[in-house]
Amino acid sequence: MTLSTALKTGDLTALPSRRDEDWRWTDLRGLLRTLPPAAPAHDGKIPASPFAGLAETETLFVNGRRVADAEAASGVVALRFVALADKASQGASHSLVVKAGETLVLLESHEGRASGYVSDVLLDIAVGEGAFVERIVLVEDDAEAVNVVTAEVVLAPGARYAQTVLTGGARRQRIETRVNHPGAHAQVRLDGVYLLDGQRHADQTTVVTHAGVDGITSQLTKGMAADQARGVFQGRIVVAQGADQTDARMGHHALILSDKAEIDAKPELLIFADDVSCAHGNTIGALDENALFYAEQRGIPEVEAKAMLTEAFVGEVVDRIEHEGAREIAAAWVAHKLGGVR
Amino acid sequence: MAAVKETVDTVAALEKYEHGFTTEIDQEFAPKGLSEDIVRFISAKKEEPEWMLGWRLEAYRRWLELDEPNWAKVDFPKIDYQDSYYYAAPKTKEGPKSLDEVDPELLAVYAKLGIPLKEQEVLAGVEGAPRYAVDAVFDSVSVVTTFKKELAAVGVIFCSMSEAIREHPELVRQYLGSVVPTSDNYFACLNSAVFSDGSFVYIPPGVRCPMELSTYFRINAKDSGQFERTLIIADKGAYCSYLEGCTAPMRDENQLHAAVVELVLLDDAEIKYSTVQNWYPGDPETGKGGIYNFVTKRADCRGDRSKVSWTQVETGSAITWKYPSCVLRGEGSSGEFYSIAVTNGHQQADTGTKMIHLGANTKSRIVAKGISAGKSTSTYRGLVSAHPKAKGARNFTQCDSLLIGKTCAAHTVPYIEARNGQSVFEHEATTTRLSDDQLFYCQQRGLSQEEAVALLVNGFVKDVLQQLPMEFAVEAQKLVAISLEGSVG
Repeated sequence: MTLSTALKTGDLTALPSRRDEDWRWTDLRGLLRTLPPAAPAHDGKIPASPFAGLAETETLFVNGRRVADAEAASGVVALRFVALADKASQGASHSLVVKAGETLVLLESHEGRASGYVSDVLLDIAVGEGAFVERIVLVEDDAEAVNVVTAEVVLAPGARYAQTVLTGGARRQRIETRVNHPGAHAQVRLDGVYLLDGQRHADQTTVVTHAGVDGITSQLTKGMAADQARGVFQGRIVVAQGADQTDARMGHHALILSDKAEIDAKPELLIFADDVSCAHGNTIGALDENALFYAEQRGIPEVEAKAMLTEAFVGEVVDRIEHEGAREIAAAWVAHKLGGVR
Repeated sequence: MAAVKETVDTVAALEKYEHGFTTEIDQEFAPKGLSEDIVRFISAKKEEPEWMLGWRLEAYRRWLELDEPNWAKVDFPKIDYQDSYYYAAPKTKEGPKSLDEVDPELLAVYAKLGIPLKEQEVLAGVEGAPRYAVDAVFDSVSVVTTFKKELAAVGVIFCSMSEAIREHPELVRQYLGSVVPTSDNYFACLNSAVFSDGSFVYIPPGVRCPMELSTYFRINAKDSGQFERTLIIADKGAYCSYLEGCTAPMRDENQLHAAVVELVLLDDAEIKYSTVQNWYPGDPETGKGGIYNFVTKRADCRGDRSKVSWTQVETGSAITWKYPSCVLRGEGSSGEFYSIAVTNGHQQADTGTKMIHLGANTKSRIVAKGISAGKSTSTYRGLVSAHPKAKGARNFTQCDSLLIGKTCAAHTVPYIEARNGQSVFEHEATTTRLSDDQLFYCQQRGLSQEEAVALLVNGFVKDVLQQLPMEFAVEAQKLVAISLEGSVG
C-alpha cells in the first residue's frame, strides 16, 4: 500500500486510500485516476538549492535520477530532490549511514520546479553509536503535485537525531518519518512546520518506537491552514514492553485562518511499559482576537498582523533548529511564505 | 465503625467476583442460533405489531450483508453467532402485575445483588429505600418496573420497551432508530434485529423527572446474549437523570452483550446518563470467560441549548468496546463525557467518545481516566469533529492513563477534525505509573499497600467520580478498589 509500489508496478490499487487507517486524511487512490509517465532525464541547467552556500557537498536527484553523490555522510551535506518535468512521475531512494561518533547536518530540499508531477522518495538513515544527525527538510512543491517522502531512521545507542520539516504543502503531500529508537540514552527531536494556503494539503506523520530503556523523544509541530487548505498531523509514540524510563512528549498546535480550511490531528500514545512519562498536547484554533485587535489598533493592517502573529506562533519550532545557517534560512522561508498568504 | 465494616465487606467481596452466582429460574428459550425465523419468533413472543417485525427483518437482512469490524485494539476469537440463544426469559404465565407475582427466586437474585444498585430494597418496597424508579432487565426481558404510577402523575413514561411498542407506538415509531440507524454498525444492526427488551423513557415538555430513573441489567442464562434497547426522549425543557448497572454470572464461555442506547434531546432538554458496568470480567488468571460488552450509545442533541452528560465507570467485561457519543446539532448544545475504565487480569477495553459538533456555539468536554493493571489493555479512542457550520465550537479533552505493573498496556488514540476557523479544540493526555513516592508516603502512615493503591487511584479518578450521583459514586469508588485487588506487589 504505497505510492512507490504503485509507481513501480503501475498498479493503482496499490495506492493507499481513505480506507487505510494510516491514510484516512491523505487519500491517494481517490485522487490519482492514472499515473503519469516516468519523468525523462534532464540535461539542462539545474537551479540553485535553497540551502546554497551552506553545504560542503551534495547529493542531487533530478527527475528521480541520481546526478551527484556526496562523498561522505558527515559534515554539512545537501540532499536535493528536484522535479523539472511537468505531469511526470518520479521515484527515488537513498540510504545514509552515519558512522559512530560522526556529526551530520543534512539539508534536504524537495524542489518542485514543474507542475502536476507525482513524486515518491524513500530514505534510509542509520545513525551510529554516539553519532548526531540534524535533518532539516524544506519542501517546496507545486500546488498540483503529489509528493510522498518516507524516511526510515534507525538509531544506535547513545545516538542523537533531530529533525525539522518545513512545508508549504501540495495537492496531496505526505512527509512520513519512522524512527526506531533503541532507548539507551538515545535522543530524538522531531519537529515540523506547515503553512498552507489555496487548496494545498500537507500530512506530517511520525512513528517513534521506543524499544529499550532510557530514551527521550520530544516532538513539536505547528501549522497554519488558510483558504481551503488542509493540514494533517499524525504522531504515534510506541513504548514497547520493557522500555522503561522513556520520556516522550508530543505537541501539535495549529491555526485555522479560514472557515473552509481543515486541520486533522491524531496524536497517539501506545504504551506497553509502566515506568514511563509520556504526554501529548494538541490544540487547534483561530488567532487570538485580542492580539489581532491590539496590533490593528497600533496601525498594523490586518493582513500583516495575521502574518506577524502566525510567524511568532511557528517561530518556536524554527528556534529549535540547531544549525545556525539552516535556522536563518528556515526563518526567512517562513517570513516569505506568510508574506504570500492573504 | 462504618469504615471498619466497609473494609470487612470489601475484603469479603475480594474473594471472588461477587455477582458470579447463577439462579435456577425456569427459563424460556428460543431455539439456539440466528435466522429470520428467530427474529419472527422474538417478535411474535413480544406480541409486536407488523411494522415492528418489518423493522427487525430489514435490520436482520442488512446485518447479513455487513462484515464484523476488527479495527479496535481488542483481541478475541471469532464469535459464532449461531451458537447462542437470542431470547431467554424467566417463565411467567403473564406479565407481573405487582411485585407479589414476580418469581420469588428472581426477587432472591435481586436481594443477593445488593451492590451496585440498591434496587432490591426498592423492589422489596423497604421503607426509606432510595427513591429510584427501576426497570430490571433479566436476560432478555424486563421483569419489573417500579414507581410507574408516581411517574405517570407528572406525565413521565417509564416502562419496558415491549410495553412502549404496545402502548406508545407513535413515540417509538418516531424515535426508534432515529439516533442509531439500524445499519449504523454491525452490532447495532444485530441488536435492531433481535433486541428483546429494554427501557423506554419519555419526559414531557418542561418536566423535571422527580426521581432518578434506573435500569438494572443481568445476564443469567447460559449461552445467551443480551440485546437490550434503551430509548430516552427528553422533550423541550425536560430533565432526567438515568442510571444503569450491569452484572452477570461467572461462566467459562464468553457471552455477548450488544445493546443500543438512544437519547433524544429537544430544545433546552437535559439528560444525565450514568453507567456502572460490572459484567463478569473473566477469570483473572486465565482470562477464560467473561462478557463481550459491545454497546452503541449515542445522544442526539437536536434542540438548541440541550445538554447531555455521559458518565461511565467501566470495571467489568472481558472486552469493552464502546463509544458513547454526542451529536451536537442544536445551537449552543453541549455534551460531556466522563469516564473511568479500569482493566485488570486479561481484560481489554477500547472505549472513548465521539463529540460531533454540527451546530454553532456547541461545547463539549471529555475527561477520560484509564487504569490498567495485570495483563490488561486499556485504550482511549475518541473523535472530536467540527463541521464548517459549527462556528464557535469549543472542546476540551483530557485523558490520563495510569499503569500498574509491567505487563499491562495503555493507549491513547484521539482523532481531531476541525473544519472551520472559529472553533477551539484543546486536547491533552498523559501516561504515567503510580508514584513510588506517594505510595511510600501512604504506607509510611500506616496504610497497607493495597489501601494506598486504592487511595491514590481514587484520587486519580476523582474528577469523574464527582460527576456520578451520590449513591453511585460510593459504589463506584469501592468497585475501582476491588477491581485493582492483587495488582500490586
